[in-house]
Amino acid sequence: MPAVLTVDPRSGVPIYLQVVEQIKRSVALGILASGEQLPTVKQLALELTVNPNTVARAYRELERDGVIETAVGRGSFVRRDGDVDSPRVAAEIASDALDVALREARSVGLNADRVRALFETALTRWFTDAAKDA
Amino acid sequence: MSTITISHLRKDYGGVAAVDDLTLEVPDSTVFGLLGPNGAGKTTTFKCMLGLARATAGDVRYDGQALRPESFERIAYVPERSTLYDNFTVNEHIEMTRRAFRAFEPARARTLLEQFGVDSRKRVRALSKGMKTAVMVALAFSRQAEMLVLDEPTGGLDPVNQRHVLSLMISEAAKGHSIIFSSHQIGQVERAAERIAILQHGRLILEGLVDDLKADRKIVEGIAPVGGFSLDGITSDSRVARCDRTERVVRLLVIDGAPEFAQRLAQAGATGIRVLDMNLEDIFLYAVSPADATTAVVAQELAP
Amino acid sequence: MNYIEWLRVRNCLRTTAIVLVVFVALAGILRISLSRYMSPQQWAQHIGAEPGTTKTQITLPDGTKRTILDNPNERTHIVIDDRGRAGTHITLTEPSSHEHKNAENVQIGGIHVNESRHGDLSTTTIDTHGAVPMLYFMAIADVVALIIATMLAAPFAREIDGHLEIAFTKPVSRVRYALGVLAADVAGIWVACALAVIACYICELFFGTYRVDFSGINSRAILMGLVMPAAWYALLCAATTWFSRAYGAVLGFAWPVAIVVGVLAVVQASTPLGLMVHDVGWVLSRLDPLTYVKFAGPDANDAMAYMGADFARRFGIEILLFVVYAGLALVRWERVEA
Repeated sequence: MPAVLTVDPRSGVPIYLQVVEQIKRSVALGILASGEQLPTVKQLALELTVNPNTVARAYRELERDGVIETAVGRGSFVRRDGDVDSPRVAAEIASDALDVALREARSVGLNADRVRALFETALTRWFTDAAKDA
Repeated sequence: MSTITISHLRKDYGGVAAVDDLTLEVPDSTVFGLLGPNGAGKTTTFKCMLGLARATAGDVRYDGQALRPESFERIAYVPERSTLYDNFTVNEHIEMTRRAFRAFEPARARTLLEQFGVDSRKRVRALSKGMKTAVMVALAFSRQAEMLVLDEPTGGLDPVNQRHVLSLMISEAAKGHSIIFSSHQIGQVERAAERIAILQHGRLILEGLVDDLKADRKIVEGIAPVGGFSLDGITSDSRVARCDRTERVVRLLVIDGAPEFAQRLAQAGATGIRVLDMNLEDIFLYAVSPADATTAVVAQELAP
Repeated sequence: MNYIEWLRVRNCLRTTAIVLVVFVALAGILRISLSRYMSPQQWAQHIGAEPGTTKTQITLPDGTKRTILDNPNERTHIVIDDRGRAGTHITLTEPSSHEHKNAENVQIGGIHVNESRHGDLSTTTIDTHGAVPMLYFMAIADVVALIIATMLAAPFAREIDGHLEIAFTKPVSRVRYALGVLAADVAGIWVACALAVIACYICELFFGTYRVDFSGINSRAILMGLVMPAAWYALLCAATTWFSRAYGAVLGFAWPVAIVVGVLAVVQASTPLGLMVHDVGWVLSRLDPLTYVKFAGPDANDAMAYMGADFARRFGIEILLFVVYAGLALVRWERVEA
């Protein structure tokens, strides 16, 4: 597995959540292919230098969320069947980011129209084809 | 291997309680971090746990049983300062450890010492502080000990070696061994520890799973409106651990239910409301610095 | 468990061995330089070789080979009895000269020389019993042993000085650990004793005697010689374990205090203060293992007599002191906190 996982222990976000999010992200982006094997809990713990139980908890969450499946004695694998819906996972990630952005925007006192305007500007900046639609 | 149960532990030195009514449980196969300012009683707790000091009151039990000499086959200890024999070489210490403990692997100890960059032929007095720590760590981690008690195991070590010790700890944890350790390096504790306890003045002031503490504890920040506002009902909530006000900025340290408090602050008229995550350092610093008691915070209108 | 203590003992013994080797080498050099002087036998032969000397050799019924050298002109008469393994007895009668003393009785090692004068003739008898009393060896060995005992004597204090975290986290009880330390040190003291005895024996060999007398007082001397340094060690061990912070001072003051107390116990005084001081000294000296050792003292005839009296009592007290002091050290060790 490529070493795309990095965790920031100093962040306020619990490490296991960071791992969960990053693995979901890897799956969504196709970095982790369907059916690909994940490192063992011990391997990943050593690689990230974090507590193995933290990794174990992340894996349990991922399994609960249907992203991975664990076969006893064989290891953990990215699920092959349609439960891992890349577009859905991607949409979740984007949606979470938008939530944070909008919460910030509201907290500094912007109203919905102002936010929408800002959004359109940002959209054209990041998605060049959107300009064509406008 | 075993659950450590510390019950109402008290240790007095000359009438002053270094540890006062400490009750703690370290579950099996856990990495447990003990944090606290200097003089908080961490080392004293370790000493009482290992029978190096006699508790004034309370006791420590391993799987419900008292500590016995044979238990030390399975327990490895790295003390805070060097307890090695200055006039003897590292090799002689390896031999001493080999003769004392059945499960000791000299080859592994030598490998670790090499990794730490220690010359085994040297006498201990010729080693730097960090190297002495490295020797103690190497000896402790070569014993297949089911429980490791580490008091500042990275004292004096350079960052590379510190990371190495951390990896060793994680390796042991992956084998299912228990580790209870104290460290001032909050970053290390954040990585390695699953549970932590914070001591101050010999008392336990906070305990819990690191992930849960981080997930639940938040700072809810808001800007008071110009006319001031009442925080009654908010600050009296038991889930608000602290409330700090600086000019118009109000910060609530909540131990649970952050979104709800964000809502209530908004209802009280605050603007610019943010919910801030707390990392372990934040949690620690807030826990040990003198808190303005929430009841002493006067929730009153700011005089214009 | 007590590997470190064994290492300390080994280092101590190594130093002892080096010192003893130097000692033996010096004795060897002395022997070589003394070979310029004739042995009693050679000297007797030399006199007998003068002209006018008749030499008679007979064998006595008990197997002794007797050589009689007589020189009427010089008025010298020498009888040499060679008892083989029992040594040699020489009686020499010659005209007195200024070198002869009126009466002298000297014992050096295995050689006993007696001189007496009657009229203008002097008789000198020289006896080489052929065996050195083990007592002498033990006396020297004990000095060595006491020094080693003092060097090894503060093992628990040394552990208390920053190593308890190692000592107390081993899978043995504190008492068992301590017993191992005591065993290592006492063994070291006894080995030092043995080394010293061997060194003395080698020196004795240089001077022609190869038998050692183990009879009577001598075998008792071995027993006492082994237990007394151990008791001294135990005393210092107890003192340094209880006063572990200042163990260097305790060790340093041990000898002077023991000597002063010993002197006070012996010296008689007449003033009330003097009597009290004497009594205090006497009481304290009962606690000192060195008090119970007696090597020799003049008897009623002013000859050297070896006091074997009440050996059993003194030996018993010595063992008791060892046990009590070791016990005191163990009690403190058991209770000390890291």
